[in-house]
Amino acid sequence: MNNAAASACIAGIGHTSIGARLERSAWSLQAESVRNAVADAGLSPNDVDGLITEPGYTQGVFDGITPHFLRLGAMLGLDPRYTYSEVIGGASCVAMVQRAAMAIAAGLCSVCVCVFGDALSTASGTWEQGRGDDAAFGLFGAPGIHALATQRHMALYGTLPEHLGAIAVSQRHHAGLTPHAQHRESLTMNDYLASRHIVEPLRLLDCCLISDGAGAVVVTSTERARDLPQPQVQLVGFGQAHNLSSLANPDYLTELPAKRSGASAFDMAGLQPADVDVAELYDCFTIVVLLQIEDYGFCAKGEGGAFVSDGNLGLTGALPTNTAGGLLSEGFGAGMFHIIEAVRQLRGECGARQVRDAEIALVSGHGLGMNTHATLLLQKV
Amino acid sequence: MTQPGSRAAGPPSTTERPLPRPDPVTQTFWKACDQHTLRYQHCPICEHDWLPASVVCPRCWSDETMWVEASGAGTVFTYAVYRRAYHPAFKPLIPYAVAVIELAEGPRLISNVVDVPVEEIHVGMEVRLTFIDAGTATLPVFRPAKAGE
Repeated sequence: MNNAAASACIAGIGHTSIGARLERSAWSLQAESVRNAVADAGLSPNDVDGLITEPGYTQGVFDGITPHFLRLGAMLGLDPRYTYSEVIGGASCVAMVQRAAMAIAAGLCSVCVCVFGDALSTASGTWEQGRGDDAAFGLFGAPGIHALATQRHMALYGTLPEHLGAIAVSQRHHAGLTPHAQHRESLTMNDYLASRHIVEPLRLLDCCLISDGAGAVVVTSTERARDLPQPQVQLVGFGQAHNLSSLANPDYLTELPAKRSGASAFDMAGLQPADVDVAELYDCFTIVVLLQIEDYGFCAKGEGGAFVSDGNLGLTGALPTNTAGGLLSEGFGAGMFHIIEAVRQLRGECGARQVRDAEIALVSGHGLGMNTHATLLLQKV
Repeated sequence: MTQPGSRAAGPPSTTERPLPRPDPVTQTFWKACDQHTLRYQHCPICEHDWLPASVVCPRCWSDETMWVEASGAGTVFTYAVYRRAYHPAFKPLIPYAVAVIELAEGPRLISNVVDVPVEEIHVGMEVRLTFIDAGTATLPVFRPAKAGE
């Protein structure tokens, strides 16, 4: 393969504990996850020459001018050859790993740390703000736009609350097998159906958790990764696609850019959906998992409801999905925990939740309402 | 004038809702609303019709955009019912319906469906334009179409 992806590996992973309230600053969480990831890669701070960050909700741009990477880089004492803060919402973490691979392939850096961390318990509800003039009509927060998508999908394809519930229940089961998950207690379909509506048709249990926690990965060249201690997990394909025309696009609410992003990634890797052993799909809301299963081609458009209800998302199912619980149950990591879990599955480190013979993983990111999407295909070497 | 909401308008809100902030791109749209007309943009070069406002035709990038008055007829493309308030001004209005309305002429916009219990709203529902006063702004919202309308 003659592409940037083929030359990069995820050589280290690290995260903090994940919880509703950790009483720590986002900076402290980020620094710990970076330290853990670099140590996991068998490297030291002096080896890091690339830093890419996802600013999170409580941080972003400071004093109107200072971007996130500048302050985090200062605290970590880094003078890297490459740096950036990625701001495409929930697609950022996957996009950061892609950017790292491209920077490494271009010779701009050789050991690039990608980090997301936040202390949402300290946030003042930035996700509750409306976007532009739509707030005048009471359209607030991510649940609103995803509820609009859910209602449209239900009307077109007969998707039911029980279909969404099957996703929440399956992921909670996986979280129960994940020692660090935020919500490990059992969840039944009755529990799901009894949970209150937030923005109908979405219930509380359709929505991701609000968490304190951080995660980081170390991306390096395949050549360098060979000399490092961890089993090699290689990037074999990636892609992005975005829907910026929003309401003007007739499929905006029922077909994600995942369709195009996935096609790029599968094409780059020379793989197809049937080759995927584990899927770590961005799941800010249950509906997003269902849409992606259709848009990535794991089933036909409109058949996502039946697919997720047949046990296909379980650890021994056709498409083991969000094997640590995802944003719905493991905790809100903006997609970074999805990447970390994919690496763990491919390394075979997952214990009770290990998917047998996992060799190829798909990781996705979805963000800014229904607008941005990024895909990563990882393979055990 | 009707408040967005369902069975009955709630008590008047003590907190002002967020209002549109017209800018050079959107001010024609909002000024038309103040005069109780809904306008969308049209490209005489490629015949494209669209909302929300743009500085060029989003299809052919022509500068020759013009504003056209909508008939006010539309359908519910999709909707969502807020059961919790994300902003104090909307607390008395719960449950209220936010909808994507597809105008008969094609463009879509975010709006509210009013004058109907939220349980009766459905995708594909025929609706008609009306306006509500929201402080210093006038908002275009939609009510169910009457028989034969």
